[in-house]
Amino acid sequence: MKALVIDDERLARNELRRLLKAFPDIEIAGEAANAKEAREKLDALKPDLLFLDVQMPGETGMELLESLEAPVPHVIFTTAYDEFAVKAFELNALDYLLKPVDPARLAAAVEKLRGKVNGTADTSPAKSVPRDRLAAEDKVFVREGDRCWFVEVKAIRLLESEGNYTRVHFDNAQPQLFRSLNAMEERLDPKYFFRANRRQIINLAWIDKLEPWFSGGLLVHLKGGAKVELSRRQAQDFRDKMSL
Amino acid sequence: MEATAATSHSLLLEDTARRTRGKQRLYVICQLCGWLFFLGLHVTLFVMDPGKDPYMIQLRIFNTSLIAIMVLVGLLMTHYLRPLFARWGWKNLGWRALVPRIFGMTLVQSTLLVAVVFAYPFFFLQYPWPAKHSIWLSVALTWVNDIVLFGVWFCVYFFYHLFERFNRSELERAQLAASAKEAELRSLKSQVNPHFIFNSLNSLRALIDEDPARARQSVTQLANLLRYSLQSGQLETVPFEDELRVVNDYLALEQVRHEERLRVRLDISPDTLQLPIPPMLLQTLVENAVKYGISTQREGGEIAIVARQEGGALRLQVTNPGSLPEAVRRAKASASTGVGLKNASDRLRLLFGEKATLNLRSATPDSVVAEAVIPLRIA
Repeated sequence: MKALVIDDERLARNELRRLLKAFPDIEIAGEAANAKEAREKLDALKPDLLFLDVQMPGETGMELLESLEAPVPHVIFTTAYDEFAVKAFELNALDYLLKPVDPARLAAAVEKLRGKVNGTADTSPAKSVPRDRLAAEDKVFVREGDRCWFVEVKAIRLLESEGNYTRVHFDNAQPQLFRSLNAMEERLDPKYFFRANRRQIINLAWIDKLEPWFSGGLLVHLKGGAKVELSRRQAQDFRDKMSL
Repeated sequence: MEATAATSHSLLLEDTARRTRGKQRLYVICQLCGWLFFLGLHVTLFVMDPGKDPYMIQLRIFNTSLIAIMVLVGLLMTHYLRPLFARWGWKNLGWRALVPRIFGMTLVQSTLLVAVVFAYPFFFLQYPWPAKHSIWLSVALTWVNDIVLFGVWFCVYFFYHLFERFNRSELERAQLAASAKEAELRSLKSQVNPHFIFNSLNSLRALIDEDPARARQSVTQLANLLRYSLQSGQLETVPFEDELRVVNDYLALEQVRHEERLRVRLDISPDTLQLPIPPMLLQTLVENAVKYGISTQREGGEIAIVARQEGGALRLQVTNPGSLPEAVRRAKASASTGVGLKNASDRLRLLFGEKATLNLRSATPDSVVAEAVIPLRIA
């Protein structure tokens, strides 16, 4: 596994490097001291894993993640003492390490990661979709205020346009993503996602039932309670797509 | 903390008990002295001029003994009125409400006293009236006399209570203000940022392999800083020199973390070293400077500390790279960060009064200066 260590302190990067010597399957491909460097290294090295410091000069780790094009690599956050971040991590079961890093804690995080990587390896056919489209298991990083999530694309039920932003509905949350709905549509796999109208994209896997609607339209009930209207033209597209 | 609170509470109770005892003693003295003075006056007048006429002597003995009875009854009556006053809540009334009540009570009491002294022996028991003049003349004179007596007694009694209550409320207000100030100070006393502590420990662990000598030195510096931060809570002010030493340790630790990204320039005038400053004040300013000037700038920069004694005040300036709008924007973005400077400013004002100031402004387009002015004399 190729890893990139992102931390503004040279000594902190060294320390992590030293600790990671205990894990031969993790190869540290590079280091970055800030978000700008990190972006260059990400493009050049295409790492599978990021060790990412939350507090950095210029952009924070969160801001860096937000700016990355999905899919994002696996991320293990590192932070010294950041109550807000730690709360956000715990809430969403993101992996994080507190500095100075406890070797046992690091081992547990790496173990958890191995499990996840092996899990996705089984579903390798999904990777056959063109890389400019997101696979069902790919993850999108979403942040709103103090909370943040890595959302699997298949968990997204509904995307709604709000100007330049897109509201993403999954689980019990609906945070905003700093991307337009059109930009999102280009990245989503049309096999699973359908543009219901100008404002909404639905995940076909989450459809609960359909109901005939006014003047030949359709009302789509999604699992989780949301209802989306399709005009006659869209309903026709939808029927064509579903009958294929 | 618990123990201190308990001690101060029991001290307060002891104080209250002592005050109550003192008040009781004062009451007994005033009560006895007042009535005995009145009796003594009559006796003295009689002894000094007993008169020659045996009838007159007899009359005056009779009068004096009547007065003695009156004093005894009056003393008892006023003594047993006190619990009634307490029950009716008269002790807590303002003077406007008291005046008519005192007036009415004076009339009632003097009438009652006259009734006891005259009506009981001469009308009820039918003792013969020994004097030549009418009994009604004596009754009228005694009544007027008693009105004056009771009037004076009530006035003294309630005036004392009014005055005492006024004093007590003043005292309570002062105590309240003092304790509020103390609590405020305690909460405003700042401590070393935990984020910094853990980051330092992390760098230190890396340093153990790389540069053991420097690692040992850093442990000492971190210990100094933590000890100072913990102890600063017990002191109102420290000599500037002590604070400066700890700030130097702090900056050395930050240099371990930020390496060449953090440069430091000190310009300290020697006559400032002994001046008193609130502990952690300079530390707070420097910590903020590192937070906004170094941690957020990719290339880092220089932090300059200037201390001067001028115009009867100590002037501290901490300059860091960055721009003020950026600093304000960041402070707003994370609610916790603006608090440090605000607390330092409040603490400074509580300790040194309105002349003490702390402000943040742009020094040049790309540097920010935090300036604290501390009057040499504590307000």
